[in-house]
This record gives sequence, structure tokens and C-alpha cells, in this order.
Amino acid sequence: MANTTYQGHKVHAVEEYTIEEEPYYLAIGDEVSLFETAYEQRIPVLLKGPTGAGKTRFVEYMAYRLARSHSRTTASGESSEHRTPLITVACHEDLTASDLVGRYLLDSDGTRWVDGPLTRAVKVGAICYLDEVVEARKDTTVLIHPLTDYRRLLPIEKLGQVVEAADGFLLVISYNPGYQSALKDLKHSTRQRFIAIEFDYPPKDLETEIISHEAEVGKDVATDLAKLGEKVRNLKEHGLGEGVSTRLLIYAGKLIAQGVPARRACQVAITWALTDDLEVQRSIEEVVTSIFE
Amino acid sequence: MSVVPELLARHRERLSGFPAPLQQQFEAGLRALAPRLTPTQLEMWSQSGIELTALSLRSWEAAVEYFRAGAELPQTVDWEALETLARESVSMAAESAPLAMSFLRAAPAAARELGPTHLRQWADLGRRLYKGNWKSSSLAAQFYDQAGPLFEVVRLNQAARLVVFIDELSRHSYELASACLTTAPTVLGGLDEDDRVPFISFATELAQSSWADSRLYFERGVHLLQKVHGPARERYLTLAAQVARGHNRSAFQYFEETANAMGELEPDDHFRIIELAEQLAPHSAFAAMDFLVSVPTVLSRIRMDELDAWQDSGLRILQMSHDGGEAYFRLQSTRGEDVLDTLSARVELSKVGEIMRLYCKALTGRNLSLQSSAALTEKGIGWVDQDRASTEGTTIFLPESMERYHDKAENFAAMKVFATHQAGRIEFGSFEFSTDLEPATLQSRLPSLMASRESAAVTAIEAFFDLFPDRKMAADLFTVVEDGRVDASIRREYGGIRKALQRMQQDALATRSDIRKLPLRQAFVENLVRASLDGDDAVRFPKTHREEMEQGLGLLGAAFRQGSNVADSAEATFALYRIASMIPNTIESDDEDGDWEEVEAPDTGDKMSVDIGELGGEGADMQMGDVAEGEEYESPDDVDFRGDFKPELVQLLMKLREDAQGGEAGQQNPQQLTPEQLQELLEKSAEINLDAMMEGDIDQTTGMFLSNLMKEAGTPSGDKENKKGDPTGDASTGEDEDEAPLAPVVTIYYYDEWDFRAHDYKPRWCAVKEQKLEQGEENFYENTLKEHAGLVAQTRKQFELMKPELFRKIKRLPEGEDFDLDAAIDWMIERKAGGSPNEKIYWRRNKIERDVAVAFLVDMSASTDEEINKRDRRPDDDDYDDDPRKYLSWWVSKRRQELSSPPKRIIDLEKESTVLLMTALETIGDQYGIYGFSGYGRDNVEFFVIKDFDEHLDNAIKKRLDKVTPIRSTRMGPAIRHATHKLMLTDAKVKILVLLSDGRPQDHGYGRDRTEKEYAIHDTKQALNEAKREGITPFCLTVDRAGHDYLKTMCEDIGYEVVADIEALPSRLPTLYRRLTE
Repeated sequence: MANTTYQGHKVHAVEEYTIEEEPYYLAIGDEVSLFETAYEQRIPVLLKGPTGAGKTRFVEYMAYRLARSHSRTTASGESSEHRTPLITVACHEDLTASDLVGRYLLDSDGTRWVDGPLTRAVKVGAICYLDEVVEARKDTTVLIHPLTDYRRLLPIEKLGQVVEAADGFLLVISYNPGYQSALKDLKHSTRQRFIAIEFDYPPKDLETEIISHEAEVGKDVATDLAKLGEKVRNLKEHGLGEGVSTRLLIYAGKLIAQGVPARRACQVAITWALTDDLEVQRSIEEVVTSIFE
Repeated sequence: MSVVPELLARHRERLSGFPAPLQQQFEAGLRALAPRLTPTQLEMWSQSGIELTALSLRSWEAAVEYFRAGAELPQTVDWEALETLARESVSMAAESAPLAMSFLRAAPAAARELGPTHLRQWADLGRRLYKGNWKSSSLAAQFYDQAGPLFEVVRLNQAARLVVFIDELSRHSYELASACLTTAPTVLGGLDEDDRVPFISFATELAQSSWADSRLYFERGVHLLQKVHGPARERYLTLAAQVARGHNRSAFQYFEETANAMGELEPDDHFRIIELAEQLAPHSAFAAMDFLVSVPTVLSRIRMDELDAWQDSGLRILQMSHDGGEAYFRLQSTRGEDVLDTLSARVELSKVGEIMRLYCKALTGRNLSLQSSAALTEKGIGWVDQDRASTEGTTIFLPESMERYHDKAENFAAMKVFATHQAGRIEFGSFEFSTDLEPATLQSRLPSLMASRESAAVTAIEAFFDLFPDRKMAADLFTVVEDGRVDASIRREYGGIRKALQRMQQDALATRSDIRKLPLRQAFVENLVRASLDGDDAVRFPKTHREEMEQGLGLLGAAFRQGSNVADSAEATFALYRIASMIPNTIESDDEDGDWEEVEAPDTGDKMSVDIGELGGEGADMQMGDVAEGEEYESPDDVDFRGDFKPELVQLLMKLREDAQGGEAGQQNPQQLTPEQLQELLEKSAEINLDAMMEGDIDQTTGMFLSNLMKEAGTPSGDKENKKGDPTGDASTGEDEDEAPLAPVVTIYYYDEWDFRAHDYKPRWCAVKEQKLEQGEENFYENTLKEHAGLVAQTRKQFELMKPELFRKIKRLPEGEDFDLDAAIDWMIERKAGGSPNEKIYWRRNKIERDVAVAFLVDMSASTDEEINKRDRRPDDDDYDDDPRKYLSWWVSKRRQELSSPPKRIIDLEKESTVLLMTALETIGDQYGIYGFSGYGRDNVEFFVIKDFDEHLDNAIKKRLDKVTPIRSTRMGPAIRHATHKLMLTDAKVKILVLLSDGRPQDHGYGRDRTEKEYAIHDTKQALNEAKREGITPFCLTVDRAGHDYLKTMCEDIGYEVVADIEALPSRLPTLYRRLTE
């Protein structure tokens, strides 16, 4: 299954997708070394934090980093560098176990078994990242249990097989405690199989740097955007379900960098994106107009 | 029967000289009346007719009509009426035979319409129009002729008014009068009954002042009048009449214009608008009418509720000058225009408060609330100015409205600057002064100085001010520096608001008083204020003291630099005070203006730390010397956008709050304030002293402040002090004193209300105050469970059964978890057979989650206090009849019965049902919230949280349940809206709202008056519909037997139930709930 190139875009088989360029990631604490250690010990990792705080970017960054160190130790002398593939599954409420493990598909003359993304990751030794895992049905979370302890096994019931995880395999899940609701919470039996790394929005100065880098805007605009982020996050739980994400701040920065007036950019990228409540919109707008001229 | 021929015979000769009809009519009349009258009466009747013929040459014609009337009069006409008729016709014919003819001709019709008894009054009305000449005679005749059509429409009293009008008009023109009379039945018929008299009254006034318009009025008046809202018409016409009476030649024109103007307005507003005009009328009728004409234009710019203010300011002008006032209401004066501009540009806190609150919260990151400044002064904790912004650390207070500029946006910006400054005080730590805080830009000298002094001060800021002999000046200096520092920080941090802030600063600078008239030391402080407003150009000081001023400005600049904190302000204050105290507070002779010159701050460069010694004079001596001579120091003018700054009080409050919280946690706070300390601190505050002096009773005033302050901080007040002062009390443990709970946190939400008359919402009409219900005893909950143990077990079992099965297999899907074997085989067979197989061969498990959230709204209105046996008691059950003695014995026995077992009230059953339901819900695991509501008036809808959705059933909640008690009224609409809001915050798929009440919605102002039911019911219905629109299933449950009446309207297609047997409520409610959710 070689990579094929269609008109202008690349298509990869999931297990062959690797991060080729170093993603930009600014460490806030010791999360990078923690993750590295966890990976060495093959301890599954749970990333907790609000949306747009950099969880996905972090996983990509780690996949890239680990691949390098990995290739240094294993593929010494060989020219083709081996990278750890990253398989990301965005979980949704209809995601079932067979969506992850695999299923029979109809073929011209019967049926054919197709591995699901988790199975593929287990087989090739990839990092499997289940994004927003609480969204998935509860039965899927049970499925990952044997993969996340000393056994490192994936039973495929329908095939009557058990797949041993390849060496590089690691399960990473993320979840957003912001939607705390009785229905969408991780079961303890699942939770307690991971080490948890907490993500929050970066502190103002780091966020400034991130915005400045990602949106390619000047330091002053980035500072103001980070300040805006800080202020708007103060409204969390009071009219806003979730604070403004770094991602949105970056979007606003990108718009500003392209010449959209700052107030307008913040309106479309932040105010309107965050809430439909007119009063809260108006309040955010006032914060925006206080910060940006 | 023999009497008829006899009379005929007797009068035949007399009548033979007249034309034949007379004889014929006489006979017909006789025959018609004979059965009803006695022979004598009949003879008298005949006699009167005969008499008529002899009165004048043509009076025989009247006699013909007389006899004809006799035949045609309705049967109800009795002898008395006939006599009246005879008398009236004889006297009338004596004056004018044609008049009598018309009268008699119309008499049967009039008798039919008016009734025979009113014939005389009717005759009089017509006679009033008769003036002896032929024109008047024909007018009066016309009046009589029209009796039929006229009285079909109007009543006699209305006709009387009409006659007055016609009479008045006839003085000017008989033709016009006749024309109006002709159209009167149609015109008046087109009017509502109640409007007729006022309509004619105005016509009469019109006839007097400009009679020529009467016809126009009669032609168009009715149509014009329809434009005025029905109930207001009478007052409108009365007002118009008042205007016409004011010898106004253009009364009709005004009438027409105002009516047209009214047509453009909301009918519901008419009443109020006319009321406003009525207030103007006594001063100038023109003004009143011009006001009405102008209202539509005015209302296009301001809201109805602002109209009062506009009218009021015009009224005041009117009282001073008629011309001025009239021009104002004609919209021809700049003053009127100004007032309009101001009103239309005004920004009201009630409208923007929530935005401002969130804005301030965003800025500070604190959970602030926002109120009007008046609310702060009402607390009586040391703030006295109602119009100035301020903050006490947890709440930001802003003026109620902003009307400084002629533009709404500018006013809003001003309000925002006000808010930003107060938020800035919190964000930039104005109240965080402490001896541990190191200054960032100035040299630190205070901590060591303060440490070297013994101070009994409670708060750091108090200790700081204790350093200064002139406390007032120190406070002023600190205010200038700190406010300036906050402004400087805002300018630095918030680029967007800079412009608005600058404008406010410039406006503030423009209104400062003349510095040259101030004594020098005050001028020094004044200059600092100006400099802090970014008005370095406005600094003026005498040459002789130039150096001191430069030093002062330098210090200010240092304190304003980036990174400075409140400790820098304090250091700067200290140094500034030293400089100021060396400047004599005398008025510099102002002979030569040249003595005063501009002073600029010295360039201190970018040094992060400024040596105060350098700027504050020779600083080795830290003692505060005596103040240089001069007048007593007075404070500079306030800077309005900065508002009141009271760091001492704020720190004190913060301290008290901390103490109160420390007490909550059961810790013993070693530094609890003693009352003496408090008193001392309070007395130091200049403003309180001033007030107290005015009251003349310092002790009492400070005492009041004290208890208010304690209350504000949530500290148990009053008796606590006594206890401490009491030597027998055990003050050392401090255990029981500190248990008082914190004042409940009240969050205010605003909701629209539905006005079914206007078919529109009244925006932000109701304020719902949400708070947690206080806690009572816990055993209520447990006792209820015990009391109803059987029912509890039963309910629990029922609900256990409701737990859904977790998975269900769904077959025949185009994709799924796996093949459905049967379907797959079918598919294969079909395929092999060459057909087109059904591709739906997968199955999947579909998880059905029971995802229900339910909000219970419990009516806590006063009526739920009613005892149940009393309700059940039917009048016929009472065996005391109406005998008071029996009643008394009945009452006594009943009373005894009640005392032996306290009667249950509706609310008790509501509570018990709730407990049962709660246990049931806990079993099934649905999310639920339980809320109580009551209140009085639209601005005080109390919404009590007994259990919120995100709370778990714990002891606190069980205790709250106990406190569910009858309170006041039942304004259901806003309570439902708020519960809807709460439900919408949950993410459950099924949302249910259950309203548990004991009667119809009712509240002060919830309808036109207390007895009106429609308004409240319609609003409630609307609120329920809103909930439904949001995807919520509302359900109304009432224990009011009469409930069916209004619930039918209120809950058109919404489920409801009337629980007739109240005692059954505890068992009924869980069953109902089950039915609702299955």
C-alpha cells in the first residue's frame, strides 16, 4: 500500500501517515519529558484539557520527536528513517467497537475483513490517538482495556484472533473535562489505566509567543490577543461554556495579519465564534474594543 | 260602547266647519281609545282636541294630528301621558300650530322609543329650540319630526345635550343647526354609547368658539375620534373641549391634528399621553394640544417611558413662560430639542448593566456584581453620594444613567470608562495595600517607618493614614496618585479605550475651578490632579515654589510608570505629603499673573527605582513635621469618572468578610476586630464624621454604620458586640458567635413579559432573583420518609422498573456492527438468483439512554398556607347555620381538634410530595432540579433553589426542603422562564418542567388590577409555550379545584392535571411523573 498522489493532494494509508515536518509546539511545563518517559515505559497517556489548548498539536509533536529518537536507536546506519506513525481517531457518539477494530465488508463474492484504525495501529506499532474519547460509546472504551495494561493485546472477537501490539504502539486518549456531565464522564476502570497530563491555556507570555509564531503577527498584536484571551476566559461559567481557545486567538491573529481590522477580526474569530448569547457577545465586544483600537 | 257615538254626536256640529279629515280622525281616535279610557277620560280627551281647533286659524290641523295620535299611540300610553300630551299640544298650538303638528305627528314614535313617561321632557327639549320666530319654529319642528330615528339611537339625556348644542349653533346659523340636526342620528349612532355626551359637549364648545367648524366636526369627528383608543376618548374630548373653551378659534383644526396624531400611537399609550396633556392644559391649552400633535415625532426618538421626563421639563418651562413652553411643545425651541437629544441619547444602567458586569468580570477575573450607586448609599456603610461610581471590592457601583452627551454611543463609552476605572482599581490592586507589598518603581521607605510605629490600626491602609497629621490631605493625595496610576495602567493596557478615557479626562480638566484662586497648598494638590488627568499643560504654580511643584510632578510620574503598584502610590503619597506640608496654605496675591507659570515634570529617565530623598526633600528625617501655616486645607474638586475612592472602608470590609468566613470554617481568628477598633476606624473616616456631626449624634450614627458594615460583611452583628462586652460571656472560644451563615448570594436575571393586549413582550420586565433557600432542620426529610414508608417503597419499586434496558439490537441497517445472518443469507440467495438484493443486512446495538432532566417548580405563594381541612369544608357541612352561638361552639371544637393534631397545609403536602419524588428520581437517576418561587411585583420575583441540577442530594438540600414556606404572590411567567433557562443549561435529551401550584397566577401589577386574571394567565401560557418551543415538555399540576377553568386556557395543548383530592398528592405526583417520561 504505497502512498499515492492524486491531483495535488497526498493520500496515505492510516498506518503510514507520519509527521514529516516538525510541528510547532511550545512546552509549557514538563509535559514533553513526561510523555517521552511514558512512551519508553509504554504507559498509556490521557490528555485532559479544554478545546484548542494544544492537545492534538502536542501529540503530533511528540509523534515527530519520538520518531527521531526512535530512528536514532533502532535504524542506525540505515538511510530510510523509520518514523512512528500517528493514527488519530476523532470519536463521536455513534463510534462503535467495530468502527475501531474492523468489520466484514461485502465483496463481490462474499465478505472481506477490513481492519479498523485501532487494529492497524496495534499491528504497525503506531501511536493511536483517540480524540475526545468520552464522546464514543461506552463499549468502545471497554475494548481498549486489554491494550492499556501489561497485556497489550487486542482481541478481535469476530475473527477469533488476539493481536499482540507491536513494540511502538501506544494508546493516547484525550478528553475535555469542560463538558462535565454525568453522562459524559470516563469510567474509573478506564481512567485508571492512563497517566493524565493536564492541559490548560498557556500563560499569557507563552501564549503571546505561540500566537505570534502561528499567526505570524507582531509581538504587540499577539500580546493584545493573549490579553484578550485572558480576559474572555474570566467569563467562563458566566455566560460562556468554555473560554476562548488559543486556536481561536491564532485565527484572529491570522486575520489581522492579512489586513482585517483588529476589532472586526476579533468579532468574527472570537466573539461570534464563542457564543450566540447577544448579551455575552456584547460584553466580549466591549472587552475587544477596550483592548483594540 | 255607547259613549263613542254620544261624543261623536255631541261634537259633530262643532267639527262640521272643518275639513272632513278632522271628523274622521276624531272618530278613529275615539274608537281606538274607548276600550282603555273611562267615559270621563274619553270626554276630557275629546274636549282637548276640540279646544285645539279653536286656538288659531290653522290649529285645526294640529287637532287632526292630535286625534290621529290618539289612535296611533302605543297601548302602553296611559291616561296620565295622554293628559300630558293634550296639555302640551294645547299650549304649543297656542304659540305655533305647525310646531304642535310636528310634535303630535312624532309623538307616537317618541312614545314608543322613550316610553310614555318621557313625553313631557321631550316636549320641553323641542320647546327650548323655539324662539318665537318661524326659523326657530321649523328647527324645533324638525327636532320633533326626527324623534323616531333619533331616539332609536340616543337616550333622552344625550338628546338633551344635543339640543343644547343645536340651540347654541342656532344662535349663529339656523341652516347649520338644521343640517347638524339632520345628520345627528347617523353621527351619534356611529359613536360608542360612552363617547356621545363628550362628543356633543365638545361640539357645544366648538359652537361657541368657532361655530363654522361645527359642520366639519359633525362630518369628520366620528371618523377622527375612532383613532383615539376607546377608553381614552372621553378624556380626550373633555380635554379638547377645555381647549376650545380657551377661546380658541382653531379648536377643530387642533382636534383634527391631535386625533390624527393619536392615530399614529400605540392605543395602550393613549391614556397616559392624554393624562400628560391634561397636566399641561391648565397652563396653556395650546401647549396641551401641541404636545399631543408632537408626541408621534417625539416618540420616534425616545421611548414611551421617557416621555414623562420630556413633558416634565417642558411643563417647567411652561410654568415660567407660556410662550417658551408652547414653543417647546411645538418642537420649535432648542431647549426642547436638547432635552430630546439628551433623553434619546441617555444610557441607562438597567439596560446595559449585565453587559457592564460581564465586561468588568472579564477585566478583573473576579466574580463581581454590578449595581447602581444608589444601592450602595442605601446600605449605609459609609458611601453617601448616589451619583458617583465606586466599588467596595466585590461590587461595582455605577450611576443609574448617563446623559452627558447627545449621542448614545458616547454616553455608553462614558459609562464604560466609569466601569473600567472601577474595574481597574480591582485589577490593578488599589485595595491590596499592605506593609509586605514592596514598591516597584519607588524607593521603599514606608515599611520600615510603619514597623517602627506602634499602631492599633486594623487594616494596613488605616495604619498608613495614621502616619499623617492631616488625614484628609493624605487621603486626597493618595486618591490622586492611586487613581492616576489606575488610569495610567488602563491607558497602557487597554489601547482601545484610550480615546474615550482621554475625552473624559479632558472634560474633567475643562471643568476644574480656577487654580489661581486657591490657597497654595490646595493649588499644589490641584495641580497633581490635573497632571494625573494627563493635563500637564494645565499645571500652573507660582515661580517662587516652582521647585516643589516639579518634585511633586516627578513623584507622580514615577508612581505612574509601568509595573508600579499600590505601594508606589503610598510611597509617592508620603513624599508628596511632606512637600505639601511645607507649602503654606495661603492665597498668593494675584496682582501679577506673571507669578504663575507652567511647570513641567523633571525628566527622571527610565530609572526603575526613584530615590525619594532626591525628590521628596531632605528625607533623612522621617518624622512628620508641623504643617506650615495658612488656611485650613480643603479637598480638590472631584473627578467624576473616577468616582468615590474609599480604600479604608474597602479594606475594612474585606477584613470583616475574611473574619466572617474564617468563622464559618470554625477557625478561631486571633485578630477578630473588637467593636472599639471598629468604632475608632469609622470615626477616622472624614465623611462619616461630617454626617454624624450633622446628625448631632456621633455614637448613634457610627453605631448604625457599624451594624450596617457588619451586615454587609456577613458578620453576625449587634448582639455579638454585646456578648464580647459582657464579662460573663465566654469570649475566648468564639465558637457559637461565628456560626451565622453568609448572606445569601442573590443573582438577578431579567425576563420579558408577555402583554396579551399589546401582543408583544415587555422587554426585561421582570427581575428574577435567584438564591439558595436557607437551610432548616434535616429531620423533616427523614420524617416524611418514615411517615410514608409504604408509599416510598412502592414508588421506588415502580421506578426501578422504569430503568431502561441498556442495549437494543436494531436490524436491517445498511451498515452496522456485524451482519445479520438471516438478512445476509437472503442477500446471498437473492444475489445468486441474479436479483437485486436488499443491502440492508447489518445490525447494530442501539443504546437507549434514559436522558431526562426535570425541573420542579413549587409554588410558595401565601395561599399555600391554607389548611387542608378548611379547604375541604363545604358550607353545607357547617352545622352552625347562621347562629353566632352555634358558630362559636363549632369554632371552639374545631380549634381544639386543630390543636390536638396540627392541620396540614397545602405547602406541607407540596413538600411531602417533593420528598417522595426525590427518592423516586434518585432511584432512576434522572437529573432534576427543585425550585420554589414567590415574590411581589415584577422587580422582585424570588426564585429559590432547593436543589440545582448540578447538586447532589445531600444534607444541605434536605435541610433546605424544610424551609419551603408560603411567602407572597405567584408570578408564574418569569419563574417558568427562569426554570426553562435552567433546563436549557442541561444537555439532557428529554427535558420536563413540572409546575406545582395551588391556584391561578397572581401578583401585584400582574394585570390591570388585582382582580384581573387574563393578563397573568396569558403571560403564564406564553411562558409555557416558550418552554415548549425550546423542546421542553411542560406540565402543570394544581390542587385548586377551580383549576379547570383557567388551566384550560393556560395550557391549551400542554398537559395538566387537577388533583382534586389534595391528600393524594404525594402518591399522585410520582405516578404522574412516570407517565410523563415513559
